[in-house]
Amino acid sequence: MSADRVLQADVGIVGAGPAGMAAANVLAAAGLRVVVLDEGHRAGGQIFRQLPVGSHNAGAIAEPPSHHHGHALLATFDQSRVTLRCGASVWDARPGRLWFEQDGASWLLRCRHIVLAPGAYDRCIPFPGWTLPGVLTAGALQVMVRGFGIVPGKRAIVAGSGPLLLPTVTALLSAGVHVVAALEASSRWRALRALPGVLGNGARLSEAFWYARQLLKAGVRLRWGWTIFGCEGDGRVQRAIIGKVDRSGRPRRETAQTVDVDVVGAGFGLVPSIELGLHLGCTSRWHEGGAGHALVVDAEQRTSVENVFAAGEICGIGGAEVAMAEGHLAAHAVLHAVRGTAVPVAVRKKARRERGAADAMLRAFAPLPGLHELAQADTVVCRCEDVTLATAQAAAALYGSSLRAIKVGCRAGMGPCQARICGPSLQALAGREPTRAMDLPVVQVPLKAVRSETIVNAPPA
Amino acid sequence: MTNTRIPGLGERPPVEFTFASRSVVAQAGDSIAMALWATCDLTLRQSSRDGAPRGVLCNMGICYECLVVVDGVTVRACTTLVRAGMHVELGGKP
Amino acid sequence: MAETADLIVVGGGIIGCAAVQHLAQLLPRSTRMVLCDRGAIAGATSGSCMGHLMVTPDDAQEYAFTARSVQLWRELNERHGGFDYNPTGALYLADDAADIELFAVLRQQFIDCGDRADILDAKQLRELEPGLAFDLPGALFYPGDGVVLPMLACRAMLQEARLHNPNVSVRPNCAIFGVRRAHGRVLGVDTAMGPIDAPIVVNATGVWAPDLAEMAGQPRLPIYPRAGNLAITGHHVTPIKTQLLEVSYIRFAHGTAKVDPTRTDDLGGHAVNMQPQTNGGCLIGSTRQFRGMDRTLNRELLHRSLLRAQRYAPGLAAAPIVRTWVGLRPFSIDKHPLIGPWPGLEGMWIAAGHEGLGISLAPITGLLLAQQIAGVKTAIDHRPYLPARFAP
Repeated sequence: MSADRVLQADVGIVGAGPAGMAAANVLAAAGLRVVVLDEGHRAGGQIFRQLPVGSHNAGAIAEPPSHHHGHALLATFDQSRVTLRCGASVWDARPGRLWFEQDGASWLLRCRHIVLAPGAYDRCIPFPGWTLPGVLTAGALQVMVRGFGIVPGKRAIVAGSGPLLLPTVTALLSAGVHVVAALEASSRWRALRALPGVLGNGARLSEAFWYARQLLKAGVRLRWGWTIFGCEGDGRVQRAIIGKVDRSGRPRRETAQTVDVDVVGAGFGLVPSIELGLHLGCTSRWHEGGAGHALVVDAEQRTSVENVFAAGEICGIGGAEVAMAEGHLAAHAVLHAVRGTAVPVAVRKKARRERGAADAMLRAFAPLPGLHELAQADTVVCRCEDVTLATAQAAAALYGSSLRAIKVGCRAGMGPCQARICGPSLQALAGREPTRAMDLPVVQVPLKAVRSETIVNAPPA
Repeated sequence: MTNTRIPGLGERPPVEFTFASRSVVAQAGDSIAMALWATCDLTLRQSSRDGAPRGVLCNMGICYECLVVVDGVTVRACTTLVRAGMHVELGGKP
Repeated sequence: MAETADLIVVGGGIIGCAAVQHLAQLLPRSTRMVLCDRGAIAGATSGSCMGHLMVTPDDAQEYAFTARSVQLWRELNERHGGFDYNPTGALYLADDAADIELFAVLRQQFIDCGDRADILDAKQLRELEPGLAFDLPGALFYPGDGVVLPMLACRAMLQEARLHNPNVSVRPNCAIFGVRRAHGRVLGVDTAMGPIDAPIVVNATGVWAPDLAEMAGQPRLPIYPRAGNLAITGHHVTPIKTQLLEVSYIRFAHGTAKVDPTRTDDLGGHAVNMQPQTNGGCLIGSTRQFRGMDRTLNRELLHRSLLRAQRYAPGLAAAPIVRTWVGLRPFSIDKHPLIGPWPGLEGMWIAAGHEGLGISLAPITGLLLAQQIAGVKTAIDHRPYLPARFAP
């Protein structure tokens, strides 16, 4: 019964964001059969999210200058002969094979080459009250505004760290939300470390100016060295407690003040979505800045596994420019493998330049260790299993400090998200110096929760 | 109640479904989570052990905080689009 | 300078933790006890298994062994809790006419042991478990079984141990490299954190017990890893509230048919076992296959057990599976665990080889071991489990 649920392609691409689309466009233009799988409902990924079919953004939602790349990419992608499968959750894989669930049905994509471009997700650092409805990740608010045209609320606070706070603030402003405060935990001086990467890169510089202008126009001041201490409310967020942090991110409780809000966006950087890569057996490395694990690729985006390539955030957080450049490069590396054509030097150089600029940014906004002191003993750290900080710390003390030990000691990370939310901070919360390498997550099938019958009906390899 | 949508983006066809036995009118292309946000329904499930209210966290299919039950099947509200006539119930602790 | 202890338990799984608990209860408060594990506490088999507390009435000895252990679990829960103890009882299911006959046989066995079990007809079964398939002919209900979360139970056991003896030292990430001995006596162990002198060493390392035995100069113990593929659903999706198992499980898991754990072409088998979790999820096992220490998923076997689970509880078909994995059961060649001293090496004790009943039997194992070490009368006849039966 599953025989008709098999797709064939030369290249299977996971992710229809900037990296995946850039790769797909090059490969389709070269005449290869390309299938792109994405869990979203339209191409674009998180950064170039499109509104649902039937709605159009004719200026109502402000867009930074870099988004014209996105429009160009999407236009080419829409006209290309790429097969896009939306709402597709990839749950199992091996080189040359990708199993996915779509609309509750079990599918297999057979493809000689795989390009991994699954992007990233927000890094969460728990604080009291972060489980209240109305407290979302920074990325979630952008999806709400730019992906669905929904107004998040009336009064918002955005807190966290890294370049992603600015697009979150501007998205809220576009939606008419009063942004009460925008809090960047890093100090202004630490952020200066990003400067070399920005100054040497015209696009990034103009982007930074654009955001600065948007904030200025709305009268929103970015508060450096501030963060959110907690949220309160009856059944949903109604108040936020904010205050200053010291240079290591440790809250200075004496500076706490309470503000009325009805929505909070928190994002402490991004975590590369490496689960599929790990499952395929690709080698990964720990980013020394503490920004998480990422896949290792060679100078032309090849992973350690034959015929598996990777591009964009999965190779290290870098943003859309890096993703597009690497997606482009990965496609040329695939073409080289298929046809023996040379990889253009300019494509390789461009990817390397963009990656260099991004790495400087990453170092400037690496997670501050002291932020892990925001959570209190009774703060839930694993939301799936309702595990509090005290319980997780007790588990680490008795069972051991490895990720595995904390998990079996209190069930943290064993729920449906499979530790994607709590995993990156669990060991730091239990006392490990966050700049030290955290344990790699153990990846288990299904990579995303799928129906039992999807597993049973999986078409044979 | 659709006053929580950004004006000027163009209205999409209405889609009617029920949430906790109450009728909700969304627009085609909405995810369940965003359709319910637009009607100010922020609580989508009750947490597994404590029964505490939970809603959208990541809005991109990662966190599974927005699990709801659609016609008897548990799904993520943020990655599932609205369908006319669907019955959506709070997820989690029954 | 080596550290000195009175007793070292190697292996921080459920058996090692139960051993420490009962040793702490029976030995003087001044006893210096160390529990070492090379990884996490409950990080291996005890963190990748099901949590069925199971009474098996094969004969009076087996019944006493299993029923007493389940009783000890109940008592541990009353004193500590925190490990999702759930006295669900067990439903033995069948959909095959031949297997239905097993209900009466099994019921009679429970009665012969002075216990009870009830045969339910289709209507009674539906009343008890409305989520099961309508066409099931009936079931056997045994009220004495239950469910625990083994990994969290380890903590309760260690907490109990520390109540009796605050000097219990628990050391995860402390691998053993050697067992030091002289003149037929154990002298201590070499660990990743340095040597420890001790006159008593307990081997509670489950599937690795033969390796530690070898380190101590013993012949390899006849314990073999038997792999099980497991799957767990998301929360609050399970249509069941009782521990469910196919009645053929008895034959399959505990039958007397000869199995050869050394063969390399074992295709494995399954008899489904479904366990309701406190969070409303459902844990699905249980497959059995000998293939060494390989912990990669056997998709074929997993699919078969998921299909069986759907057969009995059709609602599971659409339930989200969040995780699948493989655990290794320590299968002993004569299907009985090894609990007691190793003859010929004074101070060397063994508690291992429980196959799929390690969780259920952990408390009685810890108790029998501790009673033998303390030199007091054992709660039940301990002789069937003496490792001496495998000594040369």
